[in-house]
Amino acid sequence: MRIWGISKRNLKEIYRDPVLVAFLLGMPIAFMLVFCAAFGGQHVNPTSISIADEDQSLTSSAFIDCIENVPAFKLNEIYTEESQARNDIENGKIPFYLLIPAGFEEANQAQKPISLELAYKKADPMIGQLVKPMVEAATLMFLGISPPINIDLKGTEVEIKNETINFLIPGVIVFGLMVLIFTAASRIAADREDGFLARMLTTPARPWDFILGYSLPLILVLIVSTLIYLGIGITMGLSIIGNIGLAFLIFFLTGLCSIGIGMIVGTLVKSESQSAISWVIIVPLSMISGALMSADGMPTGLKNFANALPFMHAVDASRNVISGCATFSTVLPDLYYLIGWTVVLFTAGIILFRRRMAS
Amino acid sequence: MNAVKTSKLVKEFNGLVAVNGIDLEIKKGELFSLLGPNGAGKTTTINMLCCLLKPTSGTASILGHDIIKNPFKVKDLIGVSPQDTILSKHLNCWENLSLMGEIHRLESKELKKKSEELLETMGLTERARDQVSKFSGGMRRRLSIAMALVHDPEVVFLDEPTLGLDPQARRAVWEYIAELKGKKTILLTTHYMEEADCLSDRIGIIDEGKIVALGTSEELKRNHLDSQSLIISAENFGTKVIENLRGKYSVVEKINGGLKISHKDLDFKEVIDYLYSQGVNIYSAASEQPTLENVFIQITGKRLRD
Repeated sequence: MRIWGISKRNLKEIYRDPVLVAFLLGMPIAFMLVFCAAFGGQHVNPTSISIADEDQSLTSSAFIDCIENVPAFKLNEIYTEESQARNDIENGKIPFYLLIPAGFEEANQAQKPISLELAYKKADPMIGQLVKPMVEAATLMFLGISPPINIDLKGTEVEIKNETINFLIPGVIVFGLMVLIFTAASRIAADREDGFLARMLTTPARPWDFILGYSLPLILVLIVSTLIYLGIGITMGLSIIGNIGLAFLIFFLTGLCSIGIGMIVGTLVKSESQSAISWVIIVPLSMISGALMSADGMPTGLKNFANALPFMHAVDASRNVISGCATFSTVLPDLYYLIGWTVVLFTAGIILFRRRMAS
Repeated sequence: MNAVKTSKLVKEFNGLVAVNGIDLEIKKGELFSLLGPNGAGKTTTINMLCCLLKPTSGTASILGHDIIKNPFKVKDLIGVSPQDTILSKHLNCWENLSLMGEIHRLESKELKKKSEELLETMGLTERARDQVSKFSGGMRRRLSIAMALVHDPEVVFLDEPTLGLDPQARRAVWEYIAELKGKKTILLTTHYMEEADCLSDRIGIIDEGKIVALGTSEELKRNHLDSQSLIISAENFGTKVIENLRGKYSVVEKINGGLKISHKDLDFKEVIDYLYSQGVNIYSAASEQPTLENVFIQITGKRLRD
């Protein structure tokens, strides 16, 4: 069979090329280790908080005690005057401080509104964004009002050991599988560049023989790398509560979509270096799909766009399945999306390849 | 039926005309050589015939199958050895040949037999299991030719098959091509005049996208060389004798103590008789055999091409 002949050749070209093997195996391993080490720690380091207490009252002291008891905070400096704190920010000694203004106790007793200020360096606005909700939560706690957040974990019989890891890893795996877009594109592009593809185009092989002949070895790469991802994930503390087979199926279909996109890119570009254009697809798609960060806060239009593409479904479905919140029937719509996209992408790849066969 | 037929074949690349209305008819079993300077349109013509490029206009067929309407049928019948040696570099000889055989749906027994035969002919048997990335340029080219022939195609395109080969390897390839003569239709492009001269049934000289001369090697030499030359080695040419000769013949030049006389319809006897009558002591006189290179240069000129 022609597909088999081309596949065998492509597989040999992959596993006999030590640099390529190092990339294909090394990338998932390095990727997972780096991500888990950087973001997946069991305990996030507490944020150092400094406070300028201009009220100097019993209430302000009690509030400071309350903040000290918040595990996410580590009490750093306490100033009696704001000017000292401001000075320390400017000197780079502290990243930010919370100002408890004079009149805090009075306002509290009279139940009047009073503003707390959070001062941070203008050069580092992220710290403000990060700390603000934490301070708000601590304030609500101090004032005795329970925060209006409902945490609802359904069907979770086994405890998730590390929620950060369980959130991160499915996304990292999807991102890693998206890199197959580049791998697939560069395989075709390299053969086009050195003329091998042109030679093959003088044979009676059909467009689908080429597309499937290039894809089959990459499917093997997809399976091996998914196993590596899951293996390292579990070692790093991933708790697979749902059906691991279903999770694997989701990743497998995600990889197929990536290979399909790679086939299209590889068909369109002229050289191996041009296949780097794949990253223009991979990076934005991974961002809007919520693979590496939550995509909940995205504008509706962008979210709808991401939702029409396969990868957001892959991220959501794999997260839900791994954390035990979803079964086969609940992720079925996501699977349909992934299967549909796979079919569309491969068909498009074959059509485009056919068009480019004789130019 | 002609094995290869082209009619007013044209290929333009962004307004640049690479092939400009080529009409060719190559008979079944014929070995036809396309000679031409760099950029003359040889490879573009072959690329159209093996369905890699779509002609801008005109038609072509291989064994009656149109290259545009029926490309896959055409690809079934042809074998191509491209100008650049293109192999799958992490595969060994067997695997490269198997790849071509499998794509042409050759049975494994037949594939093995044909591969063994080709590896033997091309002198690659000993290294057959080595990855071709470790091969020398000559070995790669020999394997590349074998890949074009493994499926026993009826029409073979050999685009500069002996480029970069050492004389021994070149001769081995020539012998193999000569063996194929009559059995396969072969379209060969080459820069080696000797190769075209000794192998071809007919030669087409192509320049600036057009066939400018066509015929057997003898026909080309006869029809396109407008003067004959005589080389005379003698003891005592007098200045007057040379002046007289120059007055009568178009080219008279001194070479290595002798004379080379060229003229249209040169009468050798007349020259010799004249020299005798002038008392010149002649050691030897020989007519210079025209070469294909003389014809080629005369037709295509000496201007360097891009």
